[in-house]
This record gives sequence, structure tokens and C-alpha cells, in this order.
Amino acid sequence: MTGAVGTRPPDLAALAGHFATLLHAAGVPVTPERAGRLAATMAMTAPATVSELYWLGRVTLVADHGSIPVYDAVFASVFEGLVDPADFRGDSPPPPPSVRRGETRPPPRGDNPPVSAPMPSPAGAAGDGEEGSSEEDTVQAASSADERLRHEDFARLSPEELAQLGRLRIVAPQRLSRRQVRNRRGTDLDVRASLRRARRTGGEPLSPVVRKRRHRPRRVVLICDISGSMERYSRAYLQLLWNGVSESRAEAFVFATRLTRLTRALTRANPDRALEKAGRLAPDWHGGTRIGEAIAAFNDQHGRRGLARGAVILILSDGWDTGDAQVLAREMQRLRRLAYRIVWVNPRKAADGYRPLVAGMAAALPYVDAFVSGHSLAALDEVLEAIAS
Amino acid sequence: MSDIAEWVSSPHELREALDRSDYLADEGMSVALFCAARLPQPLLLEGEPGVGKTEAAKALAAALDTPLIRLQCYEGIDAAEALYEWNFPRQLLAIKVSETAHEHLREEDLFRRDYLLARPLLQAVEHPGPRPAVLLIDEIDRADDEFEAFLLELLAEGSVTIPEIGTVRATHRPVVILTSNRTRDLHDALKRRCLYHWIDYPDVARTTDIVRRRVPQASTPLVESVAAAVARLRTLEVQKPPGVAEAINWVLALDLLGLPALDPQAVETTLGSVLKYREDLELAMSRGPDWLAGP
Repeated sequence: MTGAVGTRPPDLAALAGHFATLLHAAGVPVTPERAGRLAATMAMTAPATVSELYWLGRVTLVADHGSIPVYDAVFASVFEGLVDPADFRGDSPPPPPSVRRGETRPPPRGDNPPVSAPMPSPAGAAGDGEEGSSEEDTVQAASSADERLRHEDFARLSPEELAQLGRLRIVAPQRLSRRQVRNRRGTDLDVRASLRRARRTGGEPLSPVVRKRRHRPRRVVLICDISGSMERYSRAYLQLLWNGVSESRAEAFVFATRLTRLTRALTRANPDRALEKAGRLAPDWHGGTRIGEAIAAFNDQHGRRGLARGAVILILSDGWDTGDAQVLAREMQRLRRLAYRIVWVNPRKAADGYRPLVAGMAAALPYVDAFVSGHSLAALDEVLEAIAS
Repeated sequence: MSDIAEWVSSPHELREALDRSDYLADEGMSVALFCAARLPQPLLLEGEPGVGKTEAAKALAAALDTPLIRLQCYEGIDAAEALYEWNFPRQLLAIKVSETAHEHLREEDLFRRDYLLARPLLQAVEHPGPRPAVLLIDEIDRADDEFEAFLLELLAEGSVTIPEIGTVRATHRPVVILTSNRTRDLHDALKRRCLYHWIDYPDVARTTDIVRRRVPQASTPLVESVAAAVARLRTLEVQKPPGVAEAINWVLALDLLGLPALDPQAVETTLGSVLKYREDLELAMSRGPDWLAGP
């Protein structure tokens, strides 16, 4: 093929290396191995058009779907003004409807009576408002002095308690796996092992080896609300997310106005570093809440593909939804059909006289298997129990 | 390798070869398959269901005129089902025969290649040529993550090691295509060894071209209106946006029923071949069959 990019043959290795460096600087992890592959392909087929170069680079340098926008941006900046990568991709579909940006509603404050108020408010308009101090009081009054620490609301958490929190283990319920293990009381004949053993007895299969299907823990998916109204619990709950991801292979997501998958960010040895990374990944900390949309995004992008199938879903949220409660009900119903079990953790449930009157919470409750408070260390035991049962 | 270089001399030529086997690859896909065949390097294909991930591997095998060896992954798949298995009944038989004949049988005699059953991965490595086989490892995300480790040697070296025999090295390294629906993250070790291509939904014009190839008996206006309707359906917030496969099914259904055009009546009777959830059907019908049928 003749007529490569430019008029004289460019130094392909240098070009590939330069491009890989730019991409790496932009945050896409490009290994020298990948840059080498790009140079190798360019040597095999000198790209005849810019779009061919675009594809050669994308196929060799990019390793996952999420990095494609960055690649596009870097490519466009290198060939500034000359190209728009969108042209090469053809008519790209509209972005997933559930990912909406720019609409960060401030957390609702003040204009609603607290749920712990003696008179229940009418559903729909009801909910908890400004940090209900009465709620904290009731929680503390209910606990004895030496139990104080265990019942301390996460709103006031010391480093010591955080460390204690770090030792909590999420244990998922079991399910039957297709994989089999040797078991004397099994029912399926392991032909391979039986015959191997038969070789010891001159080819006579005297004692057959039997197997049984193994049990495996179900997948656990943790979906945590990090909106403004959950601010005082988010540090503790993130620790729980980290425990789940690093110890129990759980999947972790956070949301306020949009859903962010944190599983990879939390797969780090050091929880502080992992949490810091997580903080940078999710742009909507302490923003408004759109639970319905977040669950919809989860269903569409992850749940339906299989991530939620047969899994235990743990949703950590106060049910404060600035979005449409009907959307939440619909999405919870979808999730219900995919998941094995849904546990909803609402720290406000601990308050005396709490009733799920917030529109979002009321809409979601019919689809929830267990509704627990999880507002303190002791209450988290209850959460872990709800997961394991 | 010189042979494959002749067969696949440039992405453009590969695209034409794929075209001849009735697979309409866009530039990105032909570049990806070109790199996979020529480097050679395994290619990880991702994309929404129904955009033609599996079809791409089939078409590549057809274009190269080599066998397609397919390994469908599932939970619990292990080396005995993917790589190789010793033929135990045959080994036992050999023991019995040697006993009756009063011959001395050595252990090594029982672990020769003749007693080995090749499963897909070994079959692909042992393919005699003249061109490499295309190995499709379908839905790798369905296998347990431990299974990925079995693949690493094959993906990186194009070889399979059998403890009793040694390393079987491919004379023609198979062209490996992996597909994933992203139900879980794949290991970095696996990703590092692969090229990557994300397949987007094709636009209306390309969908039309693809469907016309697959259902040549359908009239062009019908195919065009179906392609446009499928694109419209994707703009709705449906749970399972229809892909190319659904467009093909839709045209096939319309053709089978002898419906010449996509009018509102035809939409109502055949929408079930495109949308598979009750909620999706309700949502689409709430927009009205007229909207779906288009102008």
C-alpha cells in the first residue's frame, strides 16, 4: 500500500511511541508491549488513511471500553482540526439514557419535617430533613453505657472504630456450582479418577470415585448512596465496600446523581489509598440523589448482563430520592427479578418512630427482602446477617 | 506465516474477503481482525448482544478458508473440557489386551499422543494448516475467573503444555477471538495479551446492508424501514435494545408472513420478534405503531 500519512515515510516506531506516551499521560494505561504492537502493525500495513490509523491505534493500544473516549480525545488533539473520531465510528448510538450529567440537585434541607417527629407526615412530601438531632438522641438513649461504642452512630466515628469496622467480613450465602469435588457421598461417577485408580488394581475398577457438586458463595453487589443526605455515613459505608471487594469479591457501586462502578478502584491493598481513588472517580459526592436512575443504570449496564443474576444486592441508602419514585419502583421490580435477595440498609430506620414515608423508600420497600438500619457497628451485624441468610 | 500474509495483505483486502463470505465489516472491524490474524495476537471483542461478535469469528474463518474451532464457555468449564483429556477407556483396554497377551506394558506407552483426546484449544494448536485455524472462545466472562489462567499459555505462546507429553507448539498459531458480555471484569493478565475492539451498533445504512445480505429475498424498502424502526426503538429506554440480529429476525418474520411493508398493522403482529420483554413491548406500543412504522 502506498501513500502513508504525510508525504515522506514517517518513523513508525517513534510515532507509535509518541502516541502511546500521550495516551498514557491522559490516563489510559498503555504498556510498551501495546505500543510495540502498534508499530508492528503499522510496519505491516502503512495506514492509507487517518481513519485506518485511528483504528490501528485503538485496537492495539486500548484495553477496555471505558478508555475509548480518552483515546478519541487524544487522537483528535494529535490531528487537531483535521479529524473528528466520531466520523470513523459511524453514527454512534446516543449515550445510555440513564447517564445524565449536569443536573446536580442540592440535597433537600430544612423544608421537610424529620421522620422522627411524633406526627407522621403525609407520604410523598414526607422525609427526614436537617440532621435530626432527636434521632441521634434516641439511638444513644436506647443503649447502655458500655455498649455506647458499638451503638455509636457512624456520624461520629473515631479511627479506632473505623479499624473495627475494617474487620467486618461479608459472608455470602451459598449456591450450587456446576463444578464438582470428590466426595464420598456424592452421586456422580468421576470416570477419570475411577479409571486412574483402577490402574492400580490391574485395570479393574474396584472402588469407584464419586463426586458431588460444590457450593460456592453467591455474588454480592454493594450499591451505596453517597449523596448529601448520606454524608455522615459514607465514610463508614465505603469501608464496608472496601471490605466486601477485597475480602469477599463483591462488586461495589456508588451513586448520587449518577452511578459509578468502584470495584476496580477498591481492589487495592491499602484502604485509604483505595478510598482516595474512589473519591476521585465518583464526581458526584454529596450531590442530590436519583436512586431510580441509579438503579436503572445499574440494571441496564450491569445487572441485565448477568452481574445481578442470582446475586445478593445490598443497597445502602436513606431512600431520599429527588427523582421520580415511580422510576424507582419500576427499576426495583426489574432488579427483584434478577437478584436472589435484596437487602436495603437505611441508617435512618434506627430512629424511633421511623416510618418509610419518603416517597422513594416507600416505592422501593415492596421489592426488598430485608430492611435493616446499619447505622452503627452493632447494627451492621444485623446487615451481615441479612446478607448471609 | 508467509501464507497468511498473502491471504491477509491489508485491512482493505481482508474487508473484501469478509464481504465475499457475506460479512460486512466496517473499517474498525477489518483493522481489528487484520491485526489479530497478522501479529498474531488474540483479539478481545466486546459489544452489546446482537452486534455480531460471534459472526465476526465465523466470517474470518470463512475468509481464510480454515476451520472455526469454537469453545463456548460456561461456569465450571475446566481443562478437561477445554484443553485435553486422557482417553481412559482406551487406556484400560490397552492394559487388558496386554494382560491377555502376557506382554509387559510400560507406563509411558499409556501416555502417548494416541491416548489423548484433543479438546477445542488443543485442536486449534494442532491444526495442520496450511493456514491457522480460527479459535473462538465465546463468552469468556461466563467461565470462572480461575479458568482464564488455563488460557494464558495459549494466548501468549500459542502452545499447550501436557505434563505427561510435553509442550505442544502450534506450527500455525491459531487466530484467537475472545468475546465477552462484560458480566465481570476480566483479569488484567488476560487483557494484557489481547487486542481490543468494541463493536458499536451499526447505523441505519449499514444495518440495511447487513440485513439485505442475510435475507436477500426481502425487498429493499422493507429492509430499510425495519432498519430505521430498529434505530428508533434504540432511542426508547428499552431494557434490551435491539441489535442487528433482531433486525434480521424481524425481516425474516415479516417475509415469512408475506407482509410486503412495515405498516402499523405489520408492526403490531411482528413486534415480538424484536422486543423480548413485556415492558419493552408496552413502552414501544405506547409510542404507537405509526411511530414505529415510520413515514
